[in-house]
Amino acid sequence: MADSTKIETPARTVETVTFTINGRTATVAKGTTVLQAAHGLGITIPSFCWHPKLKPVGACRMCYVEIEKMPKLQVSCATEVTNGMVVFTESDKVKQGRRAIIEFTLLNHPLDCPTCDKGGECDLQNLTFAHGYDDSRFAFQKLRKIEAGVPSTFDDIKIGPEIVLNRNRCILCYKCVRANKEAFGEYDLGAFERGNHTEINAAPGQQVDNPFSGNLVEICPVGALTNTDWRYKIRVWLTDQKASICPFTSSGTNIQFYVERHKNRIFRTTGRRNDAIDDGWLSDVTRYGYQIIQSPDRLKTPLIKKNGKQVPATWDEALAVAAARLTEIRDKKGCVCVGGLASPSLDNASLYTFNKFMRVAMESNNVDYRTEYRRLPSSLDNPYDIAASQAFTIADIDESDVIVVIGSDLVREHPNEYLRVRKAEQFNRSKVFLLNPLSTKPSDVAALELVHKPGAEEIAISAICLAAMESGWASGVNADDLKSKTGFKKAADAAGACGLDLIEIQAVARAIAEGKKITIIAGELVTRSREREAIGAALCNLNRVFGVDGKGQMAILARHANSVGAARLGLTPDLGAGFAGALKSIWGQYPETPPQNTDAMLAAARKEELDAMILVGVNPVMIYPDREFAREALDKLDFLIACDLFETETTQLADVVLPLAGWAEYRGEYFNLEGRLQSAEPGIAPLNEARPAHQILESLAEQCGSPLFAGMDQRNAEMEKILKVDIRRPWPTGLIEVKPQPQETAPERTVALIMGDDPHHSGYLTEKAPSLVGFCGEAYAELSPELAAKLKVGAGDSVRLEAATGKIIVPVRVSEHIDNDVVFVPRNFMAAPVNSLVSRKQRVDWVKISKVSD
Amino acid sequence: MTEILKAFVNVIIKMPQGFGVTLKYLFRKPVTVQYPKQKIPMTPRYRGRHYLERYDDGTERCVCCGLCAAACPADAIYMEPEETANGERKAKVYEINLLRCIFCGFCEEACPEEAVFLGQDYEFSADNRNSFIWTKDQMLVKHPRKENPLKRIIRRVRRVYGVPTAK
Ligand code: SF4
Ligand code: SF4
Ligand code: SF4
Ligand code: FES
Repeated sequence: MADSTKIETPARTVETVTFTINGRTATVAKGTTVLQAAHGLGITIPSFCWHPKLKPVGACRMCYVEIEKMPKLQVSCATEVTNGMVVFTESDKVKQGRRAIIEFTLLNHPLDCPTCDKGGECDLQNLTFAHGYDDSRFAFQKLRKIEAGVPSTFDDIKIGPEIVLNRNRCILCYKCVRANKEAFGEYDLGAFERGNHTEINAAPGQQVDNPFSGNLVEICPVGALTNTDWRYKIRVWLTDQKASICPFTSSGTNIQFYVERHKNRIFRTTGRRNDAIDDGWLSDVTRYGYQIIQSPDRLKTPLIKKNGKQVPATWDEALAVAAARLTEIRDKKGCVCVGGLASPSLDNASLYTFNKFMRVAMESNNVDYRTEYRRLPSSLDNPYDIAASQAFTIADIDESDVIVVIGSDLVREHPNEYLRVRKAEQFNRSKVFLLNPLSTKPSDVAALELVHKPGAEEIAISAICLAAMESGWASGVNADDLKSKTGFKKAADAAGACGLDLIEIQAVARAIAEGKKITIIAGELVTRSREREAIGAALCNLNRVFGVDGKGQMAILARHANSVGAARLGLTPDLGAGFAGALKSIWGQYPETPPQNTDAMLAAARKEELDAMILVGVNPVMIYPDREFAREALDKLDFLIACDLFETETTQLADVVLPLAGWAEYRGEYFNLEGRLQSAEPGIAPLNEARPAHQILESLAEQCGSPLFAGMDQRNAEMEKILKVDIRRPWPTGLIEVKPQPQETAPERTVALIMGDDPHHSGYLTEKAPSLVGFCGEAYAELSPELAAKLKVGAGDSVRLEAATGKIIVPVRVSEHIDNDVVFVPRNFMAAPVNSLVSRKQRVDWVKISKVSD
Repeated sequence: MTEILKAFVNVIIKMPQGFGVTLKYLFRKPVTVQYPKQKIPMTPRYRGRHYLERYDDGTERCVCCGLCAAACPADAIYMEPEETANGERKAKVYEINLLRCIFCGFCEEACPEEAVFLGQDYEFSADNRNSFIWTKDQMLVKHPRKENPLKRIIRRVRRVYGVPTAK
């Protein structure tokens, strides 16, 4: 974990300055502030309004230092070190200054500590104790900011679904407003009135409900901002902190749980700043997501289906039934009849145990972790997997001068990277380009936002390549070759085909060609596309044309907490000769059966060629891109084991349901999208009878008569060997043919459906977190104002979305940020299963949209 | 021979002397207190079982801040806060385990709201351990107590700082 006192040197400075502080001479980079320099030298300067990730404002004056030749005390957070400067941080004058500032800060601060939730971790409490007077000299009535007509004695107001503000306690450090603006680009909180009456409040008519709002509470130095999650629940000194990792995002945000041991309960999550990953900011999903673990809806005991009804059973019974049926199916019909799907959010040990369970105990190659994608490639050597396996460093986004986001709704998929992109623009003036089928954040900081036709990702990328070639920016690429491989003669044709202006395409091409350090991020809209291989090929060409690998980074980012681990531990059906050989040498055996991926397994199940499946933490009925297909397939199975935290559509179909422990209940290791290995401590002991996936699978294997490991050491040693296999694939040296399948047309359904995560949700479990439901509790259809006007609907109305495979009815949300030909629907809500509208065979899911008149 | 003489003297002289003492006390005012029929008054600073105070308008003083529990050397206090309808903080659960309590009075000293204090009662025997865990309801009862002089000082401080006090 990074130290909070690290000296942050502004990028691109090499000049240094030498100064003296408390008699010590030190050299620091030019542009460093006195406060940062002092912290770097281990000298603490008290402060309220300074935050390492925000620009200094000098609002609180707590960081006073004495600088020789300057008549008055100076604020160290906003004073840059200069050559020959002589600084004192502990002189009498400074101490006196600090005392006076504390006294001044306390002028209107109420004596609220007994009722204040910040008590025990409050900067004002601590600094008053360390630097303040014992007594106050001000014997007049304090100013109280009261909401008219509210009978509370505490003057608290709710300014967002999760945030409570007490303006009396606020010391006006402006950290919340600054973080909201500088780091998150949100303007739902502001400072109003003047002088003594200045107050922080939600912007008129708005709620503080942006996807990063929880951070405001965390950085508030006093108890002015508190969240309902933690409010009045427990005192901070009664909790222990447990270091963990966020399981909802792929960057592995570092978090810590505040746990009460005796109650076996987590009370909140805060950040554990890691400058390489998260800068200390958490998205609200990360912050409140822990609540699902403590949901009363968790599965409590194993269930066994008896006479068509699931009844509670003991673990022994459930495992015995499961093992007996699995062995029977494995031995009777030959081993192709068992398949398994695991969630890419599980930890390494569970994923590896799953792999070995399937391949050794079940002797089957039917293993997959990709349940939510359509038309999966079966081997790993396709252009998509080449682009997805590239090295990527989150922190390098900061320093890139050109950032291109392709097919990714960053704020919804990769909140940490989203903030990095904003930071690069804010602090580094980087140029940001967005290339998406719908307008996405951070469009407000983008130099150019290109919204192409739905299902034309690879054409847009090809257009950029062609434009570069036409302008002579692509050296060493044969023009004819490029034309034939992309299938377009001119950039203008390609631009036209994807609905973009040539001039926009040229601007992007120019920026990439001229950029010194480039980051190109591709995301879920690529991964979820049926044409992921064609888009992958276009990305390979983009790399070839601009030489991106030589001056930056480009990758299709993994989406789940341990997608990278799943790939590296071999959870795909066809591993290729090298990987399979490595596994065979470790296990002494490797199944010979034909490898089947998720699609193939479900198809086989529908044809009753697959008899049993084991699902660990996945809910295909909810996330597979064809709901009915998945449901029918699972229904036809002779035997289905589902391990999950909650009862889902999938567990309802299962013959044996096993309660799974969540990530906060056991120790686990995860690879983030950079391939960084991080471990998560358990916050609490498993609730009810839940067990970790690796434990379940090991006992199951034992009961099946083929124990997997002699002990944990063996498992870890095997994993270590497997992780030595390098699955990174180099960029191809030549151009690749971009060959998408022809697009289907559906004339009567005219709006393209794009499904994804709501900014406050991730996957199908976050619905169980009350705080997140407070932000967004039901699915909606996000429409452009024009489309809404055409359909004659407004906020409060509902629309019916229809496709060949199904229909759903959802309320409308009108948004300026969406285009006329697309509709966005979150996929996180069981009540509105949006995957019933999509088909795994289609590239773009056209839907018919109509008003529901009630 | 001398042994016999000594015994004789004891019987003749010492025994009546001893009985004399008893006889003397028989007619004096007895010092034994006829507990439980009689009770002696406690010293003003005697620390007995705990009480929780209310404001004059009847609202509970305790805001469940946890400071008494933090100060308690015996870890005898357990509490769970809750939010009232108008957003104030108060105790949902407030329990003191009187078997653990060492009656040091630290909780009383720590309390910023003047909510908890040790009264003068010492009669809380029971025949099972659970009934020694005293709950909020048991402690919020009316109590015989003179006003603590400290309270006046605290009221003044509160007035100065604008913290709401009981009307
Ligand atoms: S609410 Fe907190 S963070 Fe915001 S200005 Fe006030 S004290 Fe600072
Ligand atoms: S009197 Fe002492 S031991 Fe008893 S509850 Fe109070 S602080 Fe704890
Ligand atoms: S210290 Fe006083 S106000 Fe705080 S919890 Fe204890 S009794 Fe209640
Ligand atoms: S920290 Fe320097 S003025 Fe607030």
